[in-house]
Amino acid sequence: MSNPDWLERAALRAQRASWTLAYTFERYRQLEERTEAELARDLCCTREVLYWLCLCRKPEGPDFDTQVTAITERHEVNRKALVDVIRHVEIVEALSKQVTAANGEEPPLQMAARDRVPGEKTSP
Amino acid sequence: MRFPSQAEEQALHERVLKKNEALASQDVFRVFMDPITRVLCRSRRRPEDDEAYDAVCDVLMEYLENPERYQAHRSRLSSYLTRNAEMQARDTHRAREARQRREREFGEVIELRATAPNRSLEINVEVGHLMGRLEQAIQERDRAAFGLILQGERSTDALAKAMNLPTLPEKELRREVKRNRDRLMKTLGRIGKEE
Repeated sequence: MSNPDWLERAALRAQRASWTLAYTFERYRQLEERTEAELARDLCCTREVLYWLCLCRKPEGPDFDTQVTAITERHEVNRKALVDVIRHVEIVEALSKQVTAANGEEPPLQMAARDRVPGEKTSP
Repeated sequence: MRFPSQAEEQALHERVLKKNEALASQDVFRVFMDPITRVLCRSRRRPEDDEAYDAVCDVLMEYLENPERYQAHRSRLSSYLTRNAEMQARDTHRAREARQRREREFGEVIELRATAPNRSLEINVEVGHLMGRLEQAIQERDRAAFGLILQGERSTDALAKAMNLPTLPEKELRREVKRNRDRLMKTLGRIGKEE
C-alpha cells in the first residue's frame, strides 16, 4: 500500500471531525497521555497504517462488528486493541456528557483512571 | 491517477450516504485526493503543494460531513468536488496574498520609522550628556516634579505633591503648580539654547 505525501496532513485535518477515527485516536492520546508512536504500538500497526485508520469513520451502531472487521481485513491492526480504544473514548465521552448535564459545568478531561493499556493481558 | 468512472463515483457516493461504512471515507480520500490535487496544480494560479492538499482535504471532509448536499443530477461527483476545491484554493490564495501585503506594508512602516543604528547611538550619547547638564542645572528638590513633567503628567495634585507644595485652596494650588512648572520649563529652555 503506497503512502502518499498528503496522508499525514489529511489524518491531522480529520481530527477536527468527531465522526472520524482520527478524532477518537486524538481523544485517546489526550486522555491516556500517549504519543502517536505509542498509540501505533498499542494498536500493533505502523504509523502509516495509523494515518490511514484516521481517515475512517468511527465504527458504531448495530454494524459495529462488521465495520471493525472491514477495517482489520484491509489494515494490519490488532482488532481487540482497536475496539478497546474506541470503547474507552466512548465511555469517557458519555461520562463527561453526563457530568456536564448534571452539574452544568465544563467536562473534566481526565475522568477515567487507566487500569490497563490495550493489548495488556488481564488476570483470569 | 485518474478520476473513477461515473458509475464508480456514484457507488462510492451511495456508500458515503449510508454513514455506516467505516472505510467509505478513507476510499473517498484514496480516489479523489490525487486527481483533484493535480487539477489544482495545473491551474493558472498554481497553489503551493501544502495549500493544494489543505484545500482538497477541507473539501473532502466537508463533503463527507454533508454528502446530501451533493446533487447527483446536476454534475458528476468529481466535478462537484473539484469545483469546490478550486474555490477553496482561490480563497486560501487570496487570504495569503492579503496577509503578505499587510505584512509588507507593516514592514515598510517600521522601516521608515526606525532610526538607523548609528543615529541611535548618537542619540544615546546626546541624551546622556543632556541628562548630566540637567542634573547640574536643576536643584534636588525640583527633580521629582521635573521627571513627572517630562513624562507628560498633567494632574495638579500629582505635580503639587512632587513639588512639595503645602495644602492650599484649589485655585491657589493650581497657580503655584503653574508657576513652578513655568520655572522648570524656562530652565529646560535655557539649557536647550546653551546646547
